[in-house]
Amino acid sequence: MSDGFEPKILGIFCNWCSYAGADMAGTSRMQYPPNIRIIRVLCSGRVDPQFVLKAFELGADGVLVAGCHPGDCHYVRGNYRAERRIALLRAMLHQLGLNPDRLMLKWISASEGAELVNAVEEFVKKLKELGPSPLRKG
Amino acid sequence: MPVKVAFIQLSSCWGCWQSLLDLHEALLDVIPQLDIVFWHTVVDYKFKDLEGLPDGSVDLGLTEGFCRTEEDVHLLKLARQKCKMLVSYGACSTFGGLPALLNLYPIDEALRRKFMEAESVVDGRIPDRVVPKMLDYVKPNPSIVKYDLLVPGCPPEPKLIAEVLTSLLKGEMPKLKERTLCDECPRVKSDVVVVKKIKRDFEGIPDPEKCLLEQGYICMGPATRAGCGAVCPSAGVPCKGCMGPGPNVLDQGAKMLSALASIVDYESVSPEELVKAVKDVVGTFSRFTLPSAIIPRAVTDRRK
Repeated sequence: MSDGFEPKILGIFCNWCSYAGADMAGTSRMQYPPNIRIIRVLCSGRVDPQFVLKAFELGADGVLVAGCHPGDCHYVRGNYRAERRIALLRAMLHQLGLNPDRLMLKWISASEGAELVNAVEEFVKKLKELGPSPLRKG
Repeated sequence: MPVKVAFIQLSSCWGCWQSLLDLHEALLDVIPQLDIVFWHTVVDYKFKDLEGLPDGSVDLGLTEGFCRTEEDVHLLKLARQKCKMLVSYGACSTFGGLPALLNLYPIDEALRRKFMEAESVVDGRIPDRVVPKMLDYVKPNPSIVKYDLLVPGCPPEPKLIAEVLTSLLKGEMPKLKERTLCDECPRVKSDVVVVKKIKRDFEGIPDPEKCLLEQGYICMGPATRAGCGAVCPSAGVPCKGCMGPGPNVLDQGAKMLSALASIVDYESVSPEELVKAVKDVVGTFSRFTLPSAIIPRAVTDRRK
């Protein structure tokens, strides 16, 4: 199945670190797979688990949530909340029959454009191994 | 002029009908106003009795339970055809309900477990004659037919039933509360909540005054609709969420998961410890609402 399969990834990035990190990758002209569509939220703590579930329901093969490194959150504790939500969500996805590896949490700071590139490359590779999401339509 | 009523039982435990008896003396006011035309759980009505009635001739239909079999779907569609107003009565009928947690397993695996592999079974076989065909998974009733009113609860509380029935009999449309359970819970809540340890319901003795969630018990209050009068938390039992999601919430389980992750103390509870403490994530957070959740049943990923 992985022949020609290009995973669709939703990225939900925090405004202060990870989105700026993606900007950094862009302005530094780093190349990374075009499989990811990034949306910006103000904090990884703003990522409602409903967003992630909705993305999977609509056929995303993977969801990458990215936020500031622990201790660096612009809102002090948002990323700690995100970390715990993602852990519970991964357990929930597992019970719902989806591979929990389809949901990834990464800490990417504003200067870590290269980290973002690595994370996306690694995630695309992993998702190609996993194949299309069973919830993908058509 | 009595109101023509049909009580439609789909796959269910009968508990919602029993809860009607919780009205006690108030029943004496309600019963003379009812002309019960179909209630096959109480009197020996057959489907043809309902089928024989003209379409739209029944003023009010209440449904209990969810559609587990093809027969349930038939009866539900029939009820919609015959009733002017159709009311979903109880958590099963409204969201899919607790037994619909079976949506986490393929139906053939569940049938095999129940009829062949259960410890008490000798020479088991999966029943295939006379019984109606099982559906692969449970869908919430409101996705099968259009309802005029949804009344959640497992079962609905007497006060809620009385409110709903009296307004319906007066020809008015009752309104559910557009708030969450915490709003009507009498327990004392503090402004900053930090939970150091997640407890299971049986651990320790809860403080009678303080918010149960603050004490570390997984109380579904923040993700649950108000309307039951917070009976469980008032009695020292954490809310299980049978009133379903609060207003404007798509997925009760996701909301509660989110709430719990927000209130734990980050230094005392690591993400791994949190998952371990919750144990059954779907069964705890989406106990009554899995078929109405964003991902309503288990799927099979090609590689686990």
